[in-house]
This record gives sequence, structure tokens and C-alpha cells, in this order.
Amino acid sequence: MLAPMQPEMKLSLVNRFRALRETRFGAFVPVLLALAAIWLYFGLVLPLYDVATGVESEFRTVFLSPRNIYNLFMQSAVIAALAVGITVVLLLGDIDLSAAATAGVCAALLGVLVLSGIPGWLACLIVMAVGIVMGTVQGLLVAYVGIPSFVVTLAGLLGYQGLMQKILPTGNLNVDDPFVRGFARVLIPDLWGLALGVVCVGAFAYIVLRKQSQRRKLGLEQDSPLALWGSVVAFGAIVLAVILTLNAYRSLPLLLVLLVAITALLGWITTSTPFGRSLFAVGGNAESARRVGFKVQRIRAAAFGIVGLMAAIAGIFGASRYGSVSYTAFAGGSLLLEAIGAAVIGGTSLFGGRGSVWNAILGALVIGSLGNGLDLTGASAADKLMVSGAILLLAVAIDALSRADAGWR
Amino acid sequence: MATNFGLAGQSAPPAHLAVRGVHKSFGGVHALRGVDFEVARGEVMALVGDNGAGKSTLMKVLAGAYAADKGEFLLDGRHVSISNPNDAAALGIQIVYQDLALCENLDVAANLSLGTELVKPWRFLPRILRPLDDLQMEVKARAAIDKLEVRTLQSVRAKVGGLSGGQRQAIAIARAVGAESSVVMLDEPTAALGVAQTRQVLEVVKRLRETNHAIIYISHNMRDIFEVSDRISVLRHGVNVATWRTGDTNPDEIVVAMTRGLNDARADAA
Repeated sequence: MLAPMQPEMKLSLVNRFRALRETRFGAFVPVLLALAAIWLYFGLVLPLYDVATGVESEFRTVFLSPRNIYNLFMQSAVIAALAVGITVVLLLGDIDLSAAATAGVCAALLGVLVLSGIPGWLACLIVMAVGIVMGTVQGLLVAYVGIPSFVVTLAGLLGYQGLMQKILPTGNLNVDDPFVRGFARVLIPDLWGLALGVVCVGAFAYIVLRKQSQRRKLGLEQDSPLALWGSVVAFGAIVLAVILTLNAYRSLPLLLVLLVAITALLGWITTSTPFGRSLFAVGGNAESARRVGFKVQRIRAAAFGIVGLMAAIAGIFGASRYGSVSYTAFAGGSLLLEAIGAAVIGGTSLFGGRGSVWNAILGALVIGSLGNGLDLTGASAADKLMVSGAILLLAVAIDALSRADAGWR
Repeated sequence: MATNFGLAGQSAPPAHLAVRGVHKSFGGVHALRGVDFEVARGEVMALVGDNGAGKSTLMKVLAGAYAADKGEFLLDGRHVSISNPNDAAALGIQIVYQDLALCENLDVAANLSLGTELVKPWRFLPRILRPLDDLQMEVKARAAIDKLEVRTLQSVRAKVGGLSGGQRQAIAIARAVGAESSVVMLDEPTAALGVAQTRQVLEVVKRLRETNHAIIYISHNMRDIFEVSDRISVLRHGVNVATWRTGDTNPDEIVVAMTRGLNDARADAA
């Protein structure tokens, strides 16, 4: 798996890095390193510095406390849901600038619907349908009329921002529906959460090992056992560490379970079905995808429909977590850029054809951690913006460097 | 030394794919004016001509990308019609375009099955959402690559973006062959390749001949043509000049036929 294609090629650092990124789990490495660096800085280096300079009398890490980790995950969940959706269109080489505004419209509609007495579950379904329609309409314009997605969704951004203001003339609405609030409030009991984690890790190990044994049977090349067990151990360690940390503060929130489940479903669709393969094919070479018979236009429209759905889900999650819908939290704020940034920081290429929804979740954690950490250190909004910009630039630079056909060679 | 098209046709193996009297105009431009062409199984037929001679037009007519204005199509002596790419594919006619049309971000196995992905039989799901059978696609890819004896390719899980030009050409050919095809058209397959890569592609073409495919080989490179082809058909200004057995002619004669036509050439010789 790690074997380079041309063994005679001298492996420079950049080439090694490229070879690493080409492997199945290697794509996670840069974003995981970024996350580790940020956590190390805010959780360890800053507190130690404070102790050394006498600002604090004893070592205390607020950032890495279970309480803060819990908040961090919940803060990042809305960005993550949106970033997961945006990743799907990024795979095509398109972009969706209207996702956050769509989320805003859906959240506002949700608030109005539950206020008018419609049951929460029905309101959620309606809102998800509306999100799909809002996304698909843009997708149809991109696919069949042939307008670049940047322009269509820019128009969508403006139009949907206006629509949200129409729905919420005051710009703010409280959401008290117990069903809607339940997503963020319901906690999975400690033991159940742990059991769920163990089952997930077991299933992951079973799938990976079964694939390996099938490979052996069919006489196909095998993954190295080190990579195999390494991925199982890493997956298990991350899942259990997250659950134990969350349990140490409260418990595993339903919201996160749903987010991971939806991402797993989308991850499976994008990597393991003909539809997902067609997304990558169109993103890699739209003309060849057309020649082999993929219905490129339908695929485009469907991808934008998926973003619409994910935007609606992000809207529901946001309304659930904040207990209110406000213009600035969705359409008018920085949510859109954070979500696109999260997808790109996760390693999804803006040029299409490469990326993964799981990386979007990690990218959202990077963005969330930055915001959270800088908040804790009392940094100003100006500092936060500048640091976020630098991180985004770094992520895109890594993307450009790791493309095999980078132009500078 | 040169023979008329009809004579070569009689002494040649029975044609697998044959076209007679093909006409094609684009507005006022009469690109093909009654072209005859044929290719047999287990044969490499080189199609040559100067720029604008009608090679590409003829190829696209055979691939169904253009519909001919007039002309007969025969497959194993049976009349068929080719009016769109699906017709051609259904008859087993595949074309490898010069730009190859591979997805560089996908691996070799995925490219070889692109558009015809194998899925597991989960009938309760629509086909586009059924799980891909990655392993069987790898098996298929391995078999296709082995059949063409592309030895330099180590892994069917390698991304196409990291492969050499010759390897990419071989994969594009393997994809065309894999689709149950009997006629494979190659458009300038060695145009952008170095010496070693060209050698690799020519070996692949020879393998195709051994597997009893009918191969139409379009090229400007005389050395490649004389190395790989069995017969050479020359077009000029949208009409046949002649068809030669490769062993009975030489590059100079072909170049003269391409640039001046047969009658002029004879006049010169006389």
C-alpha cells in the first residue's frame, strides 16, 4: 500500500508526503497533525508558559478539560454537518456558497413551524425536504443551464439571506420544542455510549479483517499487517478516548451520535457505491465520465440536493443547540466560510476529485479548536480571523503540494 | 507493387468490419467521398493520410460519433447500422481517443471499470446505491492488465495520475478491450511518448492482434506503422489512395502516396 509507484524515483520529502497522502488512511495524517499541534499548543504549551512566567501558580489545562472538549465538539457540530455536505460538491469540483444561508432558512422555517404548533418531528422532516429542494434547484441551474456553481450559489447566498430575513423579520426566534431541543440535550447513558463505541470498533475491525482475508483468497495484493492493525488500533483509540472524555463531563450527546452516523452513511455512499464513484469521476475528468456513460448532469443536481439536505440538518442541529434561531448565527455570520474552510483544511481539494467527508469532520474540529482556544486565551476577534486565515492558507498550500500533477514541477 | 483496394481485399483474410462507399459532409466540406475500408480479426490495419485526409472523420464515423451521410457497414458480412456511440459499442467497436479519457484521481482498477462498475446484488437498493464490489473489480483489472502483459505496472491500486504515459495508454487500451470489443481503434497512441514508452504500447498492440482483435491503428509515425501493422490503408482528400500489405511496401512509397496520391506518384516515376 505504501510502496511508491516508481521505485527508481528518489524519494524527496515532498514525494514521500505525496505517497503517504495517496494511501487510504494517509489522507487523515495532515489534518490530524494540525489538530494535534493546536491541542498541544492550547492544552500544554500555553499553560506551561503561564506557569513559567508566573501568571499561574500551578499547571492547569482548561482547554483539554472534559468540559471544554464537550463544548468544543458541540460547537463544531454545526460547522461539521455543513462541511460534510459541502465536501460532496467539492468532490465534483463545484462549490456551494449558499449552504449556510440554506441552513439559516431551514432553521428559521423550523422555528416558525414549531411555533405554529406543528409537531417537532414533522417540522424537521418538512425542513429537510425544503433543504433538498433549495439545493436541487441550484444544482439544476448548474447542471442543465450550465451556469458556474460559484455564480449560482452566490446568487443563492444573497437570495436565501433575504428569504431568511423575510421569515424572521425580528432576526431572532426562540425554539423551545422539546423534540428539536432533544438532539442537543439528550445524552446517551455512560455505559450505553461505551457499548456503542465498542460495537463500532468491533465492526470496523471485522470489516477490515474480512476484506483482508477475501483479498488473500482472491490472490490480490494485501495491505501490510502493520497498516491494517495500525488503522484498527488508531480508530479504536480515538473512538474510546472521545467517548470516555465526554463521559467524564456529561455523556455522549445524541447530536454527535447522529452527526457521526450521517457522516458514516455519506462516507459510505461517496466511497463505496457507483454514485460515489461517479462523483469522483466527474471531479477528476468530467469529459471521460460523460464518455463512459455517467449521467453527469443528474449527478451534479443530486450532489447539490445532498448539500441542501445537510444544510437543513445543520440548521436543525444549530436550532437545537442554541435554543434559538438568529440571522447572525447562520446566514449572516461566518458559518459559511468556516464550513468551506473546514472541508478544505480536512484535505478535500477545491479542484475536485479528491477528499472525504470524514476529513471534513476533522477540519471542522480544527476550526472549532482554533476558535475555542483563542477565546480561552482572551484573543480578540481580529486575532481569531487572522489565525484562521493563516491556517486555511496552510491547508490549501498542503493540498497544492500534495497533488501529483502540481504545476510547478 | 501497389494494389488496388479491391485486389488487396480479395487476397486478405475475410474482413471482420468493412465499410463501403462512405460519404460524410460538413456543410460545404466533403470530408469523405466514397471511402472503402476494412479490417480483419487478428490484423492491425494502419490508417494513414496527411492532415485533412479524412482519417479522423472515418474513425469517428466508425465509432458512431458522426453519422455517415451514405455508406454500407458490414460486420462479419452482415449489414449493420452505426448512427451513435451506443450502436458502435453494442457491435463491439471501441475507440481509444488521443486524450485517453482516464480519471487521474482514481486508481487503475476503478478506471478499468468506469461506467460499468460491478456491484453486489443488493436488490432492495437502486443500482447506483448498491455497494461496489471492489475486490472483483481488482480481479478483473488484474486479468485485463496481465492479458496485455503490461509488466511495468505494479499495482492495480495505483492512481492513474502517478503513471507514465505508456502505462496510461495501455490502461486506456485495456479498458477498450475489456468492454467485450472485437474492433479497437487507436488514435495516435504513441504521439506523445518517448522511445521506451512507445515500445511498451506497440507490444500491447501486438498482444491485441494475438488475442484476435481487429485493430485500426492511426498514426503519423512511419517507423511505428511498419513495425506493428499488417496492412496500410492510405487516404487522401477523402478518398482511398490504395491499400498495401506492409511487407510489400516501404515508408517512402507510403509518404508519396499520402502527399501526392498514386497517380501523381506514377506519373513522377514514369
